[in-house]
Amino acid sequence: MDIFANVLLGFQVALQPTNLLFCFIGVLIGTLVGVLPGLGPVAAMSLLLPSTFHISPVAAIIMLAGIYYGAMYGGSTTSILVNIPGEAASVVSCLDGYQMARQGRAGPALGIAAFGSFIAGTVSIVGLMFLAPPLAEMALKFGPPEYFCLMLLGLIILTFLAGKSMPKALIMAAFGLFLGLIGMDIMTATPRFTFGFYFLTDGVGLVPVVMGLFGVSEVLLNVEAGIRRDVFKTRIKGLLPNRKDWKDSAWPIVRGSVIGFFLGILPGGGAVIASFVSYAVEKRCSRYPERFGTGVIEGLAGPESANNSATGGAFIPLFTLGIPANAVMAMLLGALIIFGMQPGPMLIKQHPDLFWGVVTSMYIGNAMLLVLNLPLIGLWVNILKIPYPVLFPLILLFCLIGVYSLNNNTGEIGLMLVFGAVGYIMKKFNYEAAPLVLALVLGPIMENALRQSLIMSNGSASIFFTRPIALVIMLAVITLLILPLLPWVKQKREALGEIAEDE
Amino acid sequence: MKNNDQRSSLFWLAAGLAIAFYSEKYGLGSFSSPGPGFLPFLTGLVIAGLAVVVFLQQLSKSSRERMTDLWRQGRWPTVLTVMGALVLYTLLFQFLGFLLDTVWLIAFLLRVMEPMSWKKCLIGAVGAGGGSYLIFQLWLKAQLPAGFLGF
Repeated sequence: MDIFANVLLGFQVALQPTNLLFCFIGVLIGTLVGVLPGLGPVAAMSLLLPSTFHISPVAAIIMLAGIYYGAMYGGSTTSILVNIPGEAASVVSCLDGYQMARQGRAGPALGIAAFGSFIAGTVSIVGLMFLAPPLAEMALKFGPPEYFCLMLLGLIILTFLAGKSMPKALIMAAFGLFLGLIGMDIMTATPRFTFGFYFLTDGVGLVPVVMGLFGVSEVLLNVEAGIRRDVFKTRIKGLLPNRKDWKDSAWPIVRGSVIGFFLGILPGGGAVIASFVSYAVEKRCSRYPERFGTGVIEGLAGPESANNSATGGAFIPLFTLGIPANAVMAMLLGALIIFGMQPGPMLIKQHPDLFWGVVTSMYIGNAMLLVLNLPLIGLWVNILKIPYPVLFPLILLFCLIGVYSLNNNTGEIGLMLVFGAVGYIMKKFNYEAAPLVLALVLGPIMENALRQSLIMSNGSASIFFTRPIALVIMLAVITLLILPLLPWVKQKREALGEIAEDE
Repeated sequence: MKNNDQRSSLFWLAAGLAIAFYSEKYGLGSFSSPGPGFLPFLTGLVIAGLAVVVFLQQLSKSSRERMTDLWRQGRWPTVLTVMGALVLYTLLFQFLGFLLDTVWLIAFLLRVMEPMSWKKCLIGAVGAGGGSYLIFQLWLKAQLPAGFLGF
């Protein structure tokens, strides 16, 4: 069978010593940034992007992907032991995970989080292998109007799910779109909004913006809050969950894997939403929902599986359509473009070694993570003990080096600092950064698709409503824009926003 | 002005209109052949429109707050200090060179949140600066600026 040969090809690529090494480096760094609060996978990926220019594109993507799913593993450690989410998708894991640790069950909690993540990661990789190639075939039928509608849908879903206020999230998306348009216009070679800064001719760089919004601003907020961490002081023993733990967790892991995978595919969905939904589902399925939040293993196993499974799903729109589902995938898209690969439906056909190599490397990476996380847990706990006053100068230093070495341009350091300040103020005023980043990446692609569509239709916007696929997508867009106005949906969204804000 | 959502919406209204205004300069083109200013103009209008929506939404809300409420807790002077140090670092980057510039920055930042002896700070700064110089400059061959002393 075709897929069998492809998987073999994938393993051939992924098992090459250099690729294995970079897979290992990726998951190791991923676990590290996952463990450390205030440094997420997006910042880490943009930090390491410049250093990947010396290695092959396949090894680079393998490493960057490893950072993403590695961070999901690492994040749970911090949630369970410190009650601070190591990264956003582990917020829910604090609820029952930390309670388990306080009851002296830190071992099984860490254990089930790691095993659940491993199982879910595996499930989503298998899903990715079977779903992506046929979807890419289908996507070949898409023209510029369909692409434009799809990207619009992605942005709208993200703003629909992000936080409390949809208009505010939409402002962020529109502003991101505008930032994406800064620089040389592709069709007429007119420099737009560069205000005489030469480095802006190429456009506003993704890396400085992301490092500013997710790296520098996060540091500024933490410095202001003066965060202190109390690592749960206990000897962690017995990492293996017992038979009852397994029995209780089996279905939550299965449900979490499925929920995570499909929510991961949705543009704008991703790991954070998946973990929240999984927690809600487990609570509803449980015979004792009132005990959730007091250290119930189901409340940890489900969301931890879901956030890992979502990482696999999130690769689908990137590899089949060339559309990133979230900010992390936007980074990967940026990397693919830098390496001269055209993301889109032809990617799997043109670069089978890349697609299958990365997918199978994720399988190997998941196994590595299990080894990294269970026996080496003591190491991560020690890293958690580094006080923040010592840690934050180092985080800033890495951001500075990372952003400079991308183009050797001091102007981009300045740009990062500007976006650091912007991100800090945005967080104060409750504006989400994720829609901005996604729109920034999509901006030039969307503009191209829009112009081509309008040229095709001789200037009539009806092209978006007369082609069947485009029409369906546009209807979804309109539905999502109208839904929040309905009273009961409004209440639900506000409730979700409040949960997210409380954490 | 009732709350901070309203204040920020006024900012976005101004920003959106400014974007739309400047886009017009680049040429909007026509619907059948959109020019370089076409999509920026649209996004400017969308931002301005959404800002009006946010403003109007808040009219019915009862929450009142001042802008200073956002900075009431926490140590905002420390944030300004860190930001100032980063700006100075950037300005001196080419002149001092990576190594020298980094050492003073790290030594300074290590003391910002909690008092720490200068000796410890300097050791940490030299370690961090030297270590990153070894990794990024000598091993990964990133071309960090050398500065007036030549390293």
